[in-house]
Amino acid sequence: MSQYETEDDHQGRTATKVAEGYAAGYTAGYGGSHGGTPVVTFENVSKHYGRLRAVDGLSLDLRAGETVALLGPNGAGKSTSLDMLLALRKPTSGKIQMFGSDPYHAVKSGRVGAMLQSGGLMPEVTVRELVELVTELHPNPEPVAVTLKRAGITQFADQRVDRLSGGQTQRVRFALAICGKSELIVLDEPTAAMDVETRRLFWNSMKEEVAAGRTLLFATHYLEEADQAADRILVINRGRLLADGTPAEIKARAGAKRLSFRLDQVDEPFLLGLPGLVNLEVRNDVVQIQSSDSDATLYAVLDAGYRPHEIEVTSLGLEQAFLAITAEDDRANGHDRTNGYAAGETN
Amino acid sequence: MSGTLALTRTELRRLMRNRRYFIFTVALPVVLYLLLGRQFNGNVYGVSFGAFYMVDMAMLGAFSGALSGNAQRISQEKKDGWIRQLRLTSLPAYAYVVSKVIVSMATTVTSIVIVLLLGRFYGNVHLAAWQWLAVAVTIWFSATIFAALAVAIGYRVAPDQVQPITFILYFAFAILGGIWYPLSGTLKTIGQVTPTYQAVKIGTDIIEGASVSVGLAIGLVVWLGIFVALATVAVRSTAETV
Repeated sequence: MSQYETEDDHQGRTATKVAEGYAAGYTAGYGGSHGGTPVVTFENVSKHYGRLRAVDGLSLDLRAGETVALLGPNGAGKSTSLDMLLALRKPTSGKIQMFGSDPYHAVKSGRVGAMLQSGGLMPEVTVRELVELVTELHPNPEPVAVTLKRAGITQFADQRVDRLSGGQTQRVRFALAICGKSELIVLDEPTAAMDVETRRLFWNSMKEEVAAGRTLLFATHYLEEADQAADRILVINRGRLLADGTPAEIKARAGAKRLSFRLDQVDEPFLLGLPGLVNLEVRNDVVQIQSSDSDATLYAVLDAGYRPHEIEVTSLGLEQAFLAITAEDDRANGHDRTNGYAAGETN
Repeated sequence: MSGTLALTRTELRRLMRNRRYFIFTVALPVVLYLLLGRQFNGNVYGVSFGAFYMVDMAMLGAFSGALSGNAQRISQEKKDGWIRQLRLTSLPAYAYVVSKVIVSMATTVTSIVIVLLLGRFYGNVHLAAWQWLAVAVTIWFSATIFAALAVAIGYRVAPDQVQPITFILYFAFAILGGIWYPLSGTLKTIGQVTPTYQAVKIGTDIIEGASVSVGLAIGLVVWLGIFVALATVAVRSTAETV
Protein backbone atom coordinates (compact mmCIF):
# COMPACT_ATOMS: atom_id res chain seq x y z
CA MET A 1 0.00 0.00 0.00
CA SER A 2 2.82 2.41 0.69
CA GLN A 3 3.70 4.74 -2.09
CA TYR A 4 7.32 4.72 -0.99
CA GLU A 5 10.11 2.28 -1.35
CA THR A 6 10.82 1.03 2.08
CA GLU A 7 14.01 -0.87 1.56
CA ASP A 8 16.63 -0.64 4.21
CA ASP A 9 18.49 2.47 3.18
CA HIS A 10 19.94 4.46 6.03
CA GLN A 11 20.50 7.52 3.92
CA GLY A 12 16.74 7.56 3.56
CA ARG A 13 16.97 9.20 0.17
CA THR A 14 15.19 6.44 -1.70
CA ALA A 15 11.76 7.58 -0.68
CA THR A 16 10.10 8.68 -3.87
CA LYS A 17 6.88 10.48 -4.31
CA VAL A 18 4.48 9.01 -6.81
CA ALA A 19 2.15 11.96 -7.16
CA GLU A 20 2.71 14.22 -10.15
CA GLY A 21 3.22 17.94 -9.97
CA TYR A 22 5.28 17.69 -6.84
CA ALA A 23 7.28 20.78 -5.97
CA ALA A 24 10.69 20.57 -7.54
CA GLY A 25 13.86 20.80 -5.53
CA TYR A 26 12.47 19.13 -2.46
CA THR A 27 14.68 16.81 -0.49
CA ALA A 28 13.64 15.03 2.62
CA GLY A 29 15.99 14.76 5.52
CA TYR A 30 16.30 14.90 9.25
CA GLY A 31 15.55 18.41 10.39
CA GLY A 32 14.62 19.39 6.85
CA SER A 33 17.71 21.54 6.68
CA HIS A 34 18.07 21.77 2.94
CA GLY A 35 15.96 22.69 -0.07
CA GLY A 36 12.77 24.71 -0.41
CA THR A 37 11.59 27.82 1.39
CA PRO A 38 10.54 27.52 5.01
CA VAL A 39 6.78 27.86 5.21
CA VAL A 40 6.62 27.29 8.94
CA THR A 41 9.33 27.53 11.59
CA PHE A 42 9.06 26.57 15.26
CA GLU A 43 12.03 27.77 17.30
CA ASN A 44 12.25 26.14 20.70
CA VAL A 45 8.52 26.57 21.27
CA SER A 46 7.00 25.64 24.63
CA LYS A 47 3.50 25.82 26.01
CA HIS A 48 3.10 25.23 29.72
CA TYR A 49 -0.12 25.01 31.68
CA GLY A 50 1.09 25.42 35.24
CA ARG A 51 3.44 22.48 35.74
CA LEU A 52 2.17 20.61 32.73
CA ARG A 53 4.37 20.93 29.67
CA ALA A 54 1.99 20.37 26.77
CA VAL A 55 4.67 21.41 24.31
CA ASP A 56 8.25 21.38 25.46
CA GLY A 57 11.00 23.01 23.37
CA LEU A 58 9.67 22.09 19.94
CA SER A 59 11.81 23.10 16.95
CA LEU A 60 10.93 22.22 13.39
CA ASP A 61 10.42 23.67 9.96
CA LEU A 62 8.19 22.90 7.02
CA ARG A 63 9.19 23.55 3.44
CA ALA A 64 7.00 24.44 0.49
CA GLY A 65 5.36 21.45 -1.15
CA GLU A 66 5.89 18.99 1.68
CA THR A 67 3.21 16.73 3.06
CA VAL A 68 4.04 16.37 6.72
CA ALA A 69 2.37 14.19 9.33
CA LEU A 70 2.53 15.21 12.95
CA LEU A 71 2.33 11.83 14.57
CA GLY A 72 1.90 11.14 18.25
CA PRO A 73 -0.34 9.47 20.80
CA ASN A 74 -3.31 11.32 22.27
CA GLY A 75 -2.05 14.11 24.47
CA ALA A 76 1.33 14.33 22.77
CA GLY A 77 0.85 18.04 22.15
CA LYS A 78 -0.27 17.86 18.53
CA SER A 79 -3.39 19.99 18.88
CA THR A 80 -1.64 22.50 21.11
CA SER A 81 1.15 22.85 18.54
CA LEU A 82 -1.33 23.41 15.71
CA ASP A 83 -3.33 25.86 17.85
CA MET A 84 -0.17 27.90 18.42
CA LEU A 85 0.68 27.75 14.72
CA LEU A 86 -2.78 29.11 13.92
CA ALA A 87 -2.54 31.93 16.49
CA LEU A 88 -5.31 30.45 18.63
CA ARG A 89 -2.93 30.07 21.56
CA LYS A 90 0.22 31.90 22.49
CA PRO A 91 3.43 29.99 23.19
CA THR A 92 4.80 30.30 26.74
CA SER A 93 8.21 30.73 25.15
CA GLY A 94 9.88 30.36 21.78
CA LYS A 95 9.00 31.75 18.39
CA ILE A 96 6.74 30.59 15.57
CA GLN A 97 6.93 32.02 12.09
CA MET A 98 4.71 31.34 9.12
CA PHE A 99 5.51 32.75 5.66
CA GLY A 100 8.04 35.01 7.34
CA SER A 101 5.50 36.68 9.59
CA ASP A 102 3.88 35.99 12.95
CA PRO A 103 1.08 33.38 12.99
CA TYR A 104 -1.72 35.91 13.51
CA HIS A 105 -0.89 37.97 10.44
CA ALA A 106 -0.19 34.89 8.35
CA VAL A 107 -3.66 33.54 9.21
CA LYS A 108 -5.32 36.88 8.49
CA SER A 109 -3.55 37.11 5.11
CA GLY A 110 -5.41 33.97 4.01
CA ARG A 111 -2.24 32.01 3.22
CA VAL A 112 -3.27 29.16 5.48
CA GLY A 113 -6.45 27.11 5.46
CA ALA A 114 -7.18 24.96 8.47
CA MET A 115 -9.49 22.27 9.70
CA LEU A 116 -9.50 21.77 13.43
CA GLN A 117 -10.90 19.00 15.55
CA SER A 118 -12.39 21.67 17.74
CA GLY A 119 -13.61 23.84 14.88
CA GLY A 120 -17.39 24.14 14.71
CA LEU A 121 -19.89 25.15 12.08
CA MET A 122 -22.58 27.79 12.12
CA PRO A 123 -25.94 26.09 12.65
CA GLU A 124 -29.28 26.95 10.99
CA VAL A 125 -27.76 27.68 7.58
CA THR A 126 -27.33 25.40 4.59
CA VAL A 127 -23.97 23.92 3.65
CA ARG A 128 -23.89 26.15 0.58
CA GLU A 129 -24.64 29.30 2.58
CA LEU A 130 -21.86 28.46 5.02
CA VAL A 131 -19.31 27.77 2.30
CA GLU A 132 -20.40 30.98 0.55
CA LEU A 133 -19.85 32.94 3.74
CA VAL A 134 -16.38 31.59 4.49
CA THR A 135 -15.42 31.95 0.82
CA GLU A 136 -16.49 35.57 0.93
CA LEU A 137 -14.25 36.10 3.97
CA HIS A 138 -11.21 34.74 2.12
CA PRO A 139 -8.92 37.32 0.50
CA ASN A 140 -8.10 34.93 -2.34
CA PRO A 141 -11.19 32.76 -2.81
CA GLU A 142 -11.90 29.75 -4.99
CA PRO A 143 -15.28 29.60 -6.76
CA VAL A 144 -17.86 28.09 -4.40
CA ALA A 145 -18.85 25.40 -6.92
CA VAL A 146 -15.23 24.26 -7.15
CA THR A 147 -14.89 23.98 -3.37
CA LEU A 148 -18.13 22.04 -3.06
CA LYS A 149 -16.99 19.63 -5.73
CA ARG A 150 -13.49 19.17 -4.33
CA ALA A 151 -14.79 18.45 -0.86
CA GLY A 152 -17.40 16.12 -2.31
CA ILE A 153 -20.32 17.95 -0.70
CA THR A 154 -22.22 19.18 -3.76
CA GLN A 155 -24.93 16.55 -3.35
CA PHE A 156 -25.89 17.76 0.12
CA ALA A 157 -25.11 21.46 -0.34
CA ASP A 158 -28.72 22.48 0.28
CA GLN A 159 -29.08 20.55 3.52
CA ARG A 160 -28.86 22.32 6.82
CA VAL A 161 -25.49 22.18 8.52
CA ASP A 162 -26.95 20.99 11.83
CA ARG A 163 -28.59 17.99 10.16
CA LEU A 164 -25.51 16.29 8.74
CA SER A 165 -23.84 13.03 9.72
CA GLY A 166 -20.42 13.05 11.38
CA GLY A 167 -18.60 12.18 8.16
CA GLN A 168 -20.52 14.83 6.19
CA THR A 169 -19.74 17.45 8.84
CA GLN A 170 -16.08 16.57 8.56
CA ARG A 171 -16.18 17.12 4.80
CA VAL A 172 -17.84 20.50 5.24
CA ARG A 173 -15.04 21.47 7.63
CA PHE A 174 -12.59 20.35 5.00
CA ALA A 175 -14.38 22.54 2.44
CA LEU A 176 -13.87 25.54 4.73
CA ALA A 177 -10.15 24.76 4.85
CA ILE A 178 -9.79 24.73 1.06
CA CYS A 179 -12.27 27.43 0.00
CA GLY A 180 -9.46 29.88 -0.67
CA LYS A 181 -6.20 29.60 -2.55
CA SER A 182 -4.16 28.99 0.59
CA GLU A 183 -0.57 27.85 0.27
CA LEU A 184 -0.57 25.86 3.48
CA ILE A 185 -3.31 23.54 4.67
CA VAL A 186 -3.36 22.46 8.29
CA LEU A 187 -5.55 19.54 9.32
CA ASP A 188 -5.99 18.28 12.85
CA GLU A 189 -7.04 14.62 12.85
CA PRO A 190 -8.96 15.16 9.61
CA THR A 191 -10.35 11.66 9.19
CA ALA A 192 -11.73 11.20 12.70
CA ALA A 193 -15.43 10.27 12.39
CA MET A 194 -14.96 9.16 8.77
CA ASP A 195 -15.64 5.63 7.62
CA VAL A 196 -13.05 3.74 5.58
CA GLU A 197 -14.49 4.69 2.21
CA THR A 198 -14.86 8.38 3.07
CA ARG A 199 -11.33 8.32 4.42
CA ARG A 200 -10.01 6.98 1.13
CA LEU A 201 -11.92 9.62 -0.85
CA PHE A 202 -10.63 12.26 1.52
CA TRP A 203 -6.99 11.38 0.97
CA ASN A 204 -7.52 11.21 -2.77
CA SER A 205 -8.84 14.77 -2.86
CA MET A 206 -6.06 15.79 -0.50
CA LYS A 207 -3.48 14.47 -2.95
CA GLU A 208 -4.96 16.76 -5.59
CA GLU A 209 -4.46 19.73 -3.29
CA VAL A 210 -0.83 18.78 -2.77
CA ALA A 211 -0.33 18.15 -6.47
CA ALA A 212 -1.50 21.71 -7.05
CA GLY A 213 1.58 22.80 -5.09
CA ARG A 214 0.13 23.27 -1.63
CA THR A 215 1.99 22.40 1.55
CA LEU A 216 0.13 20.11 3.87
CA LEU A 217 0.56 19.58 7.60
CA PHE A 218 -1.72 17.14 9.36
CA ALA A 219 -1.87 15.69 12.82
CA THR A 220 -2.85 12.09 13.27
CA HIS A 221 -2.50 9.17 15.58
CA TYR A 222 -3.23 6.72 12.74
CA LEU A 223 0.16 5.41 11.73
CA GLU A 224 -1.13 3.91 8.54
CA GLU A 225 -2.39 7.30 7.51
CA ALA A 226 0.94 8.99 8.20
CA ASP A 227 2.75 6.25 6.30
CA GLN A 228 0.50 6.43 3.26
CA ALA A 229 -0.18 10.11 2.97
CA ALA A 230 2.94 11.88 4.22
CA ASP A 231 6.39 12.17 2.76
CA ARG A 232 7.74 13.35 6.07
CA ILE A 233 6.77 12.34 9.57
CA LEU A 234 7.38 14.24 12.77
CA VAL A 235 6.98 11.97 15.77
CA ILE A 236 6.09 13.84 18.92
CA ASN A 237 5.50 12.59 22.43
CA ARG A 238 4.90 14.57 25.60
CA GLY A 239 5.44 17.82 23.71
CA ARG A 240 8.84 16.97 22.31
CA LEU A 241 10.03 16.08 18.83
CA LEU A 242 11.41 12.54 18.88
CA ALA A 243 11.99 11.82 15.23
CA ASP A 244 11.82 13.66 11.94
CA GLY A 245 12.21 11.90 8.63
CA THR A 246 10.62 9.99 5.80
CA PRO A 247 8.47 6.99 6.77
CA ALA A 248 11.43 4.81 5.73
CA GLU A 249 13.78 6.72 8.01
CA ILE A 250 11.41 6.55 10.93
CA LYS A 251 11.18 2.81 10.57
CA ALA A 252 14.97 2.54 10.33
CA ARG A 253 15.44 4.71 13.37
CA ALA A 254 13.43 2.41 15.59
CA GLY A 255 15.18 -0.71 14.44
CA ALA A 256 13.59 -1.50 11.15
CA LYS A 257 13.93 -5.29 11.26
CA ARG A 258 12.99 -7.98 13.65
CA LEU A 259 15.41 -10.88 13.83
CA SER A 260 14.33 -14.04 15.57
CA PHE A 261 15.90 -17.45 16.05
CA ARG A 262 16.23 -20.32 18.46
CA LEU A 263 19.43 -20.76 20.38
CA ASP A 264 20.24 -23.72 22.66
CA GLN A 265 22.44 -21.83 25.08
CA VAL A 266 21.37 -18.24 25.46
CA ASP A 267 24.05 -15.83 26.66
CA GLU A 268 22.17 -12.62 27.37
CA PRO A 269 25.13 -10.32 28.05
CA PHE A 270 26.59 -11.35 24.70
CA LEU A 271 23.32 -10.76 22.89
CA LEU A 272 22.92 -7.32 24.46
CA GLY A 273 26.29 -6.32 23.01
CA LEU A 274 25.33 -7.16 19.43
CA PRO A 275 25.72 -4.43 16.79
CA GLY A 276 22.53 -2.67 15.65
CA LEU A 277 20.54 -4.01 18.58
CA VAL A 278 17.62 -1.83 19.63
CA ASN A 279 15.61 -4.24 21.70
CA LEU A 280 16.04 -7.78 22.97
CA GLU A 281 13.50 -10.32 24.12
CA VAL A 282 14.36 -13.83 25.25
CA ARG A 283 11.75 -16.46 25.99
CA ASN A 284 13.25 -19.89 26.79
CA ASP A 285 15.34 -20.65 23.73
CA VAL A 286 13.57 -18.13 21.48
CA VAL A 287 15.50 -14.91 20.89
CA GLN A 288 13.82 -11.85 19.36
CA ILE A 289 15.96 -8.91 18.41
CA GLN A 290 14.88 -5.58 17.02
CA SER A 291 17.77 -4.28 14.96
CA SER A 292 18.66 -1.26 12.92
CA ASP A 293 21.11 -3.41 10.94
CA SER A 294 19.89 -6.98 10.86
CA ASP A 295 22.72 -8.20 8.62
CA ALA A 296 25.45 -6.99 10.99
CA THR A 297 23.56 -8.39 13.97
CA LEU A 298 23.22 -11.81 12.42
CA TYR A 299 26.86 -11.95 11.21
CA ALA A 300 28.06 -11.11 14.72
CA VAL A 301 26.03 -14.00 16.12
CA LEU A 302 27.53 -16.37 13.55
CA ASP A 303 31.07 -14.98 13.94
CA ALA A 304 30.92 -15.70 17.66
CA GLY A 305 30.51 -19.33 16.80
CA TYR A 306 26.77 -19.70 17.49
CA ARG A 307 24.65 -21.70 15.15
CA PRO A 308 21.09 -20.47 15.65
CA HIS A 309 18.25 -22.20 13.87
CA GLU A 310 14.83 -21.18 12.57
CA ILE A 311 16.28 -17.80 11.62
CA GLU A 312 13.68 -15.30 10.56
CA VAL A 313 14.15 -11.66 9.53
CA THR A 314 11.04 -9.52 9.16
CA SER A 315 10.43 -5.85 8.49
CA LEU A 316 8.81 -3.80 11.18
CA GLY A 317 5.87 -1.66 10.21
CA LEU A 318 5.67 1.97 11.11
CA GLU A 319 3.45 1.05 14.01
CA GLN A 320 6.15 -0.91 15.81
CA ALA A 321 8.67 1.77 14.91
CA PHE A 322 6.46 4.41 16.40
CA LEU A 323 5.77 2.40 19.53
CA ALA A 324 9.47 1.71 19.92
CA ILE A 325 10.36 5.38 19.61
CA THR A 326 7.77 6.59 22.09
CA ALA A 327 8.36 3.72 24.51
CA GLU A 328 12.08 4.43 24.45
CA ASP A 329 11.39 8.06 25.18
CA ASP A 330 8.98 7.22 28.00
CA ARG A 331 11.48 4.83 29.58
CA ALA A 332 14.29 7.35 29.28
CA ASN A 333 12.18 9.86 31.15
CA GLY A 334 10.88 7.52 33.77
CA HIS A 335 7.28 7.62 32.62
CA ASP A 336 5.22 4.60 31.97
CA ARG A 337 3.00 4.79 28.94
CA THR A 338 -0.23 5.54 30.71
CA ASN A 339 1.30 8.60 32.35
CA GLY A 340 2.77 9.68 29.08
CA TYR A 341 -0.63 9.67 27.47
CA ALA A 342 -2.10 11.86 30.13
CA ALA A 343 0.04 14.89 29.43
CA GLY A 344 -1.00 17.87 27.39
CA GLU A 345 -4.36 16.75 26.12
CA THR A 346 -6.25 19.86 25.15
CA ASN A 347 -9.60 18.60 24.05
CA MET B 1 -15.50 45.69 7.02
CA SER B 2 -17.03 43.83 4.06
CA GLY B 3 -16.30 40.58 5.91
CA THR B 4 -18.15 41.81 8.98
CA LEU B 5 -21.10 42.71 6.75
CA ALA B 6 -21.06 39.30 5.08
CA LEU B 7 -21.14 37.63 8.48
CA THR B 8 -23.94 39.94 9.65
CA ARG B 9 -25.98 39.15 6.53
CA THR B 10 -25.69 35.41 7.14
CA GLU B 11 -26.52 35.88 10.83
CA LEU B 12 -29.68 37.79 9.89
CA ARG B 13 -30.72 35.03 7.51
CA ARG B 14 -30.29 32.53 10.35
CA LEU B 15 -32.33 34.63 12.68
CA MET B 16 -35.25 34.78 10.27
CA ARG B 17 -35.46 31.00 10.49
CA ASN B 18 -35.44 30.92 14.24
CA ARG B 19 -39.02 31.62 15.31
CA ARG B 20 -38.35 30.92 18.98
CA TYR B 21 -36.21 34.02 19.10
CA PHE B 22 -39.23 36.19 18.34
CA ILE B 23 -41.40 34.87 21.16
CA PHE B 24 -39.70 36.87 23.90
CA THR B 25 -38.79 39.88 21.82
CA VAL B 26 -42.08 40.34 19.96
CA ALA B 27 -44.84 37.98 21.06
CA LEU B 28 -44.61 38.45 24.84
CA PRO B 29 -44.74 42.28 24.90
CA VAL B 30 -47.46 42.33 22.25
CA VAL B 31 -49.66 39.88 24.17
CA LEU B 32 -49.11 41.69 27.48
CA TYR B 33 -49.95 45.03 25.90
CA LEU B 34 -53.11 43.66 24.35
CA LEU B 35 -54.13 42.21 27.71
CA LEU B 36 -53.25 45.12 29.98
CA GLY B 37 -52.66 48.20 27.84
CA ARG B 38 -56.23 49.48 28.19
CA GLN B 39 -57.08 48.05 31.59
CA PHE B 40 -55.98 50.91 33.80
CA ASN B 41 -56.72 54.59 34.04
CA GLY B 42 -54.67 57.22 35.69
CA ASN B 43 -51.11 58.39 35.26
CA VAL B 44 -47.82 56.66 35.72
CA TYR B 45 -44.57 58.68 35.75
CA GLY B 46 -46.63 61.65 34.58
CA VAL B 47 -48.16 60.01 31.48
CA SER B 48 -51.24 57.88 30.78
CA PHE B 49 -51.04 54.18 31.62
CA GLY B 50 -51.35 53.27 27.93
CA ALA B 51 -48.33 55.41 27.07
CA PHE B 52 -46.30 54.19 30.05
CA TYR B 53 -47.09 50.59 29.29
CA MET B 54 -46.13 51.05 25.64
CA VAL B 55 -42.67 52.31 26.58
CA ASP B 56 -42.50 49.61 29.22
CA MET B 57 -43.34 46.73 26.90
CA ALA B 58 -41.08 48.04 24.14
CA MET B 59 -38.24 48.00 26.66
CA LEU B 60 -39.15 44.54 27.97
CA GLY B 61 -39.09 42.91 24.53
CA ALA B 62 -35.97 44.77 23.42
CA PHE B 63 -33.81 44.19 26.48
CA SER B 64 -34.77 40.55 26.97
CA GLY B 65 -34.20 39.85 23.27
CA ALA B 66 -30.78 41.49 23.36
CA LEU B 67 -29.86 39.65 26.56
CA SER B 68 -31.09 36.06 26.59
CA GLY B 69 -31.03 35.05 22.92
CA ASN B 70 -27.59 36.48 22.31
CA ALA B 71 -25.96 35.08 25.44
CA GLN B 72 -27.27 31.60 24.67
CA ARG B 73 -26.11 31.68 21.08
CA ILE B 74 -22.67 33.06 21.79
CA SER B 75 -22.08 30.51 24.52
CA GLN B 76 -23.21 27.64 22.28
CA GLU B 77 -21.13 28.84 19.34
CA LYS B 78 -18.10 29.16 21.57
CA LYS B 79 -18.58 25.60 22.80
CA ASP B 80 -19.19 24.25 19.29
CA GLY B 81 -16.01 25.91 18.05
CA TRP B 82 -17.67 28.20 15.51
CA ILE B 83 -15.94 31.24 17.03
CA ARG B 84 -12.68 29.31 16.72
CA GLN B 85 -13.39 28.51 13.10
CA LEU B 86 -14.03 32.19 12.41
CA ARG B 87 -10.69 33.09 13.96
CA LEU B 88 -9.05 31.06 11.19
CA THR B 89 -10.51 33.36 8.56
CA SER B 90 -9.23 36.80 7.69
CA LEU B 91 -12.06 38.40 9.66
CA PRO B 92 -10.74 40.86 12.22
CA ALA B 93 -11.01 39.67 15.82
CA TYR B 94 -13.84 42.05 16.73
CA ALA B 95 -16.05 41.11 13.75
CA TYR B 96 -17.93 38.31 15.49
CA VAL B 97 -18.99 40.48 18.43
CA VAL B 98 -19.80 43.44 16.18
CA SER B 99 -22.04 41.35 13.97
CA LYS B 100 -23.83 39.91 17.01
CA VAL B 101 -24.55 43.42 18.28
CA ILE B 102 -25.76 44.58 14.84
CA VAL B 103 -28.06 41.57 14.54
CA SER B 104 -29.35 42.21 18.04
CA MET B 105 -30.12 45.81 17.09
CA ALA B 106 -31.96 44.60 14.00
CA THR B 107 -34.19 42.33 16.08
CA THR B 108 -34.90 44.86 18.78
CA VAL B 109 -35.79 47.57 16.28
CA THR B 110 -38.47 45.24 14.88
CA SER B 111 -39.96 44.59 18.29
CA ILE B 112 -39.80 48.26 19.28
CA VAL B 113 -41.57 49.40 16.10
CA ILE B 114 -44.33 46.78 16.55
CA VAL B 115 -44.98 47.74 20.17
CA LEU B 116 -45.00 51.48 19.38
CA LEU B 117 -47.47 50.90 16.54
CA LEU B 118 -49.62 48.96 18.97
CA GLY B 119 -49.46 51.89 21.39
CA ARG B 120 -50.56 54.30 18.69
CA PHE B 121 -53.42 52.29 17.23
CA TYR B 122 -54.53 50.12 20.16
CA GLY B 123 -53.45 52.16 23.16
CA ASN B 124 -54.45 55.55 21.64
CA VAL B 125 -51.11 57.16 22.36
CA HIS B 126 -50.73 60.34 20.32
CA LEU B 127 -47.32 61.89 20.00
CA ALA B 128 -45.44 64.24 17.74
CA ALA B 129 -43.16 62.63 15.15
CA TRP B 130 -40.00 63.69 17.01
CA GLN B 131 -41.36 62.13 20.20
CA TRP B 132 -41.97 58.77 18.52
CA LEU B 133 -38.47 58.86 17.14
CA ALA B 134 -36.89 59.92 20.43
CA VAL B 135 -38.73 57.20 22.39
CA ALA B 136 -37.76 54.55 19.84
CA VAL B 137 -34.11 55.58 19.78
CA THR B 138 -33.91 55.74 23.58
CA ILE B 139 -35.20 52.18 23.93
CA TRP B 140 -33.11 50.97 21.05
CA PHE B 141 -29.95 52.36 22.60
CA SER B 142 -30.83 51.04 26.06
CA ALA B 143 -31.50 47.54 24.74
CA THR B 144 -28.16 47.53 22.95
CA ILE B 145 -26.48 48.00 26.33
CA PHE B 146 -27.78 44.52 27.17
CA ALA B 147 -26.25 43.07 24.01
CA ALA B 148 -22.88 43.94 25.54
CA LEU B 149 -23.85 42.12 28.74
CA ALA B 150 -24.90 39.13 26.62
CA VAL B 151 -21.44 39.03 25.05
CA ALA B 152 -19.84 38.99 28.50
CA ILE B 153 -22.09 36.11 29.65
CA GLY B 154 -21.80 34.16 26.40
CA TYR B 155 -18.01 34.15 26.51
CA ARG B 156 -17.82 33.30 30.21
CA VAL B 157 -20.61 30.83 30.88
CA ALA B 158 -21.24 27.31 29.57
CA PRO B 159 -24.40 26.89 27.45
CA ASP B 160 -26.31 24.87 30.07
CA GLN B 161 -25.77 27.57 32.69
CA VAL B 162 -26.61 30.53 30.49
CA GLN B 163 -30.37 30.18 30.79
CA PRO B 164 -30.59 30.37 34.60
CA ILE B 165 -28.17 33.27 34.72
CA THR B 166 -29.93 35.31 32.05
CA PHE B 167 -33.27 34.52 33.71
CA ILE B 168 -32.07 35.88 37.04
CA LEU B 169 -30.73 39.01 35.34
CA TYR B 170 -33.91 39.32 33.30
CA PHE B 171 -36.09 39.18 36.42
CA ALA B 172 -33.80 41.48 38.37
CA PHE B 173 -33.70 44.16 35.70
CA ALA B 174 -37.41 43.78 34.94
CA ILE B 175 -38.59 43.96 38.57
CA LEU B 176 -36.08 46.50 39.89
CA GLY B 177 -36.49 48.54 36.71
CA GLY B 178 -40.23 48.79 37.30
CA ILE B 179 -41.08 47.02 34.04
CA TRP B 180 -43.74 44.80 35.62
CA TYR B 181 -45.21 47.43 37.86
CA PRO B 182 -44.22 51.04 38.37
CA LEU B 183 -41.72 51.62 41.16
CA SER B 184 -42.48 53.39 44.40
CA GLY B 185 -41.05 53.64 47.90
CA THR B 186 -37.83 51.83 48.84
CA LEU B 187 -37.86 49.78 45.66
CA LYS B 188 -37.77 53.01 43.70
CA THR B 189 -34.67 54.20 45.55
CA ILE B 190 -32.90 51.01 44.54
CA GLY B 191 -34.51 50.63 41.13
CA GLN B 192 -33.62 54.11 40.00
CA VAL B 193 -30.08 53.04 39.24
CA THR B 194 -31.09 50.28 36.82
CA PRO B 195 -30.79 50.92 33.09
CA THR B 196 -34.28 49.51 32.55
CA TYR B 197 -35.82 52.15 34.85
CA GLN B 198 -33.67 54.87 33.36
CA ALA B 199 -34.72 53.95 29.82
CA VAL B 200 -38.44 53.82 30.64
CA LYS B 201 -38.28 57.07 32.63
CA ILE B 202 -36.51 58.89 29.79
CA GLY B 203 -39.20 57.54 27.45
CA THR B 204 -42.07 58.73 29.61
CA ASP B 205 -40.35 62.09 30.18
CA ILE B 206 -40.17 62.56 26.42
CA ILE B 207 -43.88 61.71 26.12
CA GLU B 208 -44.80 64.03 28.98
CA GLY B 209 -42.84 66.78 27.31
CA ALA B 210 -40.82 67.28 30.45
CA SER B 211 -37.12 67.93 30.25
CA VAL B 212 -35.13 64.72 30.40
CA SER B 213 -32.89 64.48 33.42
CA VAL B 214 -29.20 64.46 32.54
CA GLY B 215 -28.65 62.05 35.42
CA LEU B 216 -30.74 59.37 33.73
CA ALA B 217 -28.83 59.73 30.46
CA ILE B 218 -25.51 59.60 32.28
CA GLY B 219 -26.76 56.50 34.10
CA LEU B 220 -27.33 54.70 30.79
CA VAL B 221 -23.91 55.66 29.51
CA VAL B 222 -22.31 54.39 32.73
CA TRP B 223 -24.13 51.04 32.34
CA LEU B 224 -22.97 50.84 28.74
CA GLY B 225 -19.42 51.44 29.96
CA ILE B 226 -19.71 48.73 32.63
CA PHE B 227 -21.14 46.10 30.27
CA VAL B 228 -18.70 46.89 27.47
CA ALA B 229 -15.83 46.60 29.97
CA LEU B 230 -17.17 43.25 31.21
CA ALA B 231 -17.53 42.04 27.63
CA THR B 232 -14.03 43.15 26.69
CA VAL B 233 -12.48 41.43 29.70
CA ALA B 234 -14.50 38.26 29.00
CA VAL B 235 -13.46 38.13 25.34
CA ARG B 236 -9.80 38.82 26.13
CA SER B 237 -9.45 36.46 29.06
CA THR B 238 -11.09 33.54 27.27
CA ALA B 239 -9.05 34.02 24.09
CA GLU B 240 -7.09 30.80 24.58
CA THR B 241 -10.16 28.66 25.22
CA VAL B 242 -12.27 29.94 22.36
